[in-house]
Amino acid sequence: MGLSRREFLKRTAALTAASYVGMNLPISMEGEAQATDADSWHPGTCRLCGSGCRLELGVKDGRAVALRGISKSRTNFGYLCMKGMLFYKLMGDNHPDRLKKPLYRARKDQPFKEISWDEALDIAAREFANAVKKHGNDSVAYYGSGQALTEETYIFQKVMRGGLRTNNVEGNPRLCMASAVGGYITSFGADEPIGSYDNFERASCFFIIGSNTAEAHPVLFRRIMRRKMDHRDTVKVINADPRISPTSRIADLDLVFEPGTDLALLNAMAHVIVNEKLYDQDFINNYSTFRKGKDKKQVSFEEYRKFLEDYTPEKVAQLCRGNMTAEKIRTAARWFATSEGTMSIWTMGINQRIRGVWANNLIHNLHILTGQLCRPGADSFSLTGQPNACGGVREGGGLCHILPAHRLVKKDKLRHQVEKLWGIPEGRIPPKPGYHTVAMFEAVNQGKIKAIWINCTSPAQSLPNCDKYKKGMARDDVFMVVSDIFPTRTTELANLILPTAFIFEKTGVYGCTERRSQLTRKAVNAPGEAKPEVWMVREWALRLSRELNDPVIKKCVEPFMGKEPDYELPRSIWMEYTQKLTKGRDNDLSGATYEVLAKLPDGVQWPAPTEAFALKGGTDIKFVRGIDPLADKHAQNEMPYQFYGPAHPDRKLWIWLRPQKGPAEMPDEEYPFYLSTGRIIDHWHTSSMTGRVMELVRANPYAFVEINPKDAEKLGIKPNDMVEVVSRRGRNVLPAKVYVGPCEGMVFVYWHDMAEDRMINRVTKDAFDPGSKEPEFKICACRIKKVSGPKPLKPFIVEMS
Amino acid sequence: MRATLRKTIFFIAIILMAAAVPALSLASGAKPKAAPSAHPQLTDQEKLTPCAQCHKDATPDIYQEWYDSVHGIANVKCFQCHGTYENFRVEPNETNCAACHNKQYQKRPKGKKCWDCHPAHNFFVHK
Repeated sequence: MGLSRREFLKRTAALTAASYVGMNLPISMEGEAQATDADSWHPGTCRLCGSGCRLELGVKDGRAVALRGISKSRTNFGYLCMKGMLFYKLMGDNHPDRLKKPLYRARKDQPFKEISWDEALDIAAREFANAVKKHGNDSVAYYGSGQALTEETYIFQKVMRGGLRTNNVEGNPRLCMASAVGGYITSFGADEPIGSYDNFERASCFFIIGSNTAEAHPVLFRRIMRRKMDHRDTVKVINADPRISPTSRIADLDLVFEPGTDLALLNAMAHVIVNEKLYDQDFINNYSTFRKGKDKKQVSFEEYRKFLEDYTPEKVAQLCRGNMTAEKIRTAARWFATSEGTMSIWTMGINQRIRGVWANNLIHNLHILTGQLCRPGADSFSLTGQPNACGGVREGGGLCHILPAHRLVKKDKLRHQVEKLWGIPEGRIPPKPGYHTVAMFEAVNQGKIKAIWINCTSPAQSLPNCDKYKKGMARDDVFMVVSDIFPTRTTELANLILPTAFIFEKTGVYGCTERRSQLTRKAVNAPGEAKPEVWMVREWALRLSRELNDPVIKKCVEPFMGKEPDYELPRSIWMEYTQKLTKGRDNDLSGATYEVLAKLPDGVQWPAPTEAFALKGGTDIKFVRGIDPLADKHAQNEMPYQFYGPAHPDRKLWIWLRPQKGPAEMPDEEYPFYLSTGRIIDHWHTSSMTGRVMELVRANPYAFVEINPKDAEKLGIKPNDMVEVVSRRGRNVLPAKVYVGPCEGMVFVYWHDMAEDRMINRVTKDAFDPGSKEPEFKICACRIKKVSGPKPLKPFIVEMS
Repeated sequence: MRATLRKTIFFIAIILMAAAVPALSLASGAKPKAAPSAHPQLTDQEKLTPCAQCHKDATPDIYQEWYDSVHGIANVKCFQCHGTYENFRVEPNETNCAACHNKQYQKRPKGKKCWDCHPAHNFFVHK
């Protein structure tokens, strides 16, 4: 034998830098309950990512003990990823780090002290009221989350707009899907995808661009994988990305391009489609127009053809570099155009771009040109990153420019509709949109915002160029309330921390990527004194009303008075939102009552204007007569498709002439590499949840910087060496992963890590799309350098001191 | 060197199998309370190494089977079935399978374990 255990490990394990010293891990796993122990199972929705997987929580003696998928659900057919299997470990008293009592400090250099809920809500109301009195209504703000329940986002924005008379209502979905919203509205005239997940089982060609679906949406990826494996010869998968990722494992064709050349690639595919006459002339004639410029000028097909002359496959292949060839572009375009059903899928690689809306438009262009829409397997489908970015924030009025049910703030008629439905005086909601996310935190930096409530998100880590915005959040003249379940980089900057109930500890609805709303009812108690947000907001609003001597604030929460917070309160909010606000709108959810949602394994897809229709599951393809009740209701002719979206009065789909646009910051001599960032499968967002589950921590304990082997060789970097990643904004030092991976000239860093040295948003750039205001997280310039060989590292999560 | 390594792997495998006996008896009988630890002892720091990183070399055949399987392509990782060190099981608890395959788990033939028909690590539909 002759081998010690350590020698064995050294030989077999290719030990990481982490393996040289011991450390104590914070989480005991002794006495863990098992799924076999569960004495009841409770249906609900996964708390992580935007897929909307339905699952059941196993409960034993009031304690969460397991999660399992629901086979009848059309979102996931019973499958879960590792995060979905394990997040029960964060519920109730299962995790010692849960925030359990309100915590307060008057100054940010003081330690927190526990206070009562009465004291906490009095303080929050007094500080917001004082800011309004001294500095005006726009000196207060709410910054929410695509992880908040719809009822929560709705009541927050109602109190802010109708009560405090400000549109400073934003949320982290601005950082992830605002460009997709802009793309859908400008191309199709209406927000959100036309089709559904069931196209995964019908598509013959998948065009995946700017999405590592395998890790960011693993359960949806499984469906694509299954489709491909069951039809190896007939189903084609194209994966277009600057980085080879686990998604590439099912790809027939990998299109690797240099960051920021995506718009040219998409135009080159259109060039092939037009020049090889692969387009659907009837579909174009019947349903589309060509548009260009800020004034949305209508142009001819011929002008579009001329515009595309600049985007020959040969020319674009040279621009894209990577592994691109003209023939690959042609192959991709031909597969796309000629398949029986092509489904495009994208996420942040497309959305988080300086011209993210344009990039979205150019994907939609390919679908409109080829008629790859509204039929089985054909869809232009943006995947969303958070469980309720669509349902809560996009639909519920959680961004500064939109009111509930896709109403624009700036439209007087729509604003007055909302005021009337809320029973508050006309003119109460200001006509000017509030600050978008980057502008909001810039206003915090400048001291223009004096009181801000941040709910269920951690901008101190998740904003691009985050150190810049942490300075504002750290100001002592900015009063900051943070409501969350765990300590985060943002609770570190708070004056008041309010402990919230987690999913399954409260009741409410999540609306996932495919326009599907799903109910989760309370199944276990929240730990300590943690409360549902809907209760907090109602009680806070009553106090605000008194502080400001303004009965209209009270009026905003009057319909919800006296309701117990675990079911009746969120139900009454949902009823107001769906029965009053969505009725007659394109996301009509008036048929989707709690009672209806509870009867279905996977909820309801809007539009669902009646209970009878909702009980059938709602609308799986928008705009198609006989399927979408609103297509029948709004039909103006006998055509099978009726594009009734409110933003296109001509009822057409718009093919846009959008030129190539590189990133805001290009590599140069000083900063010669592209930096891109993204998710890994085991962690989610800022890892405040997944970083507290031992299985997930061990699977991916730290952020790494991925470096292409050719670049690593040039710079003398070996696996696990410590590498400095520096931009004009900040610096990280991370262990290296050397593989292909990223294309040459690009490095890629996982963005979940909370450790200061490995928090990559200290390095990223806060340039944003002028249309969607979504930042260009995905590309900036950096330089890299080996600073040492492997070093011992520790996983890191913020704890309350 | 390679031969020595293979012997070592064999030795480890014997230890693992021996440790699996109580796991098997638990799985077929009373409720498991404390999961048996059958993994070689590691320091807490060493435990921060993802399973597959060691097992790619320590159990290359199993790794390759998994990597080529639907679980491998779909990124279903070792710990999802086997747990992590504190709740590690050589033979997984079948309720872990049920997290994704509950319908099939409920319908399984009496007296059969999932892997009696769906061989572990390659997960063909049936043996």
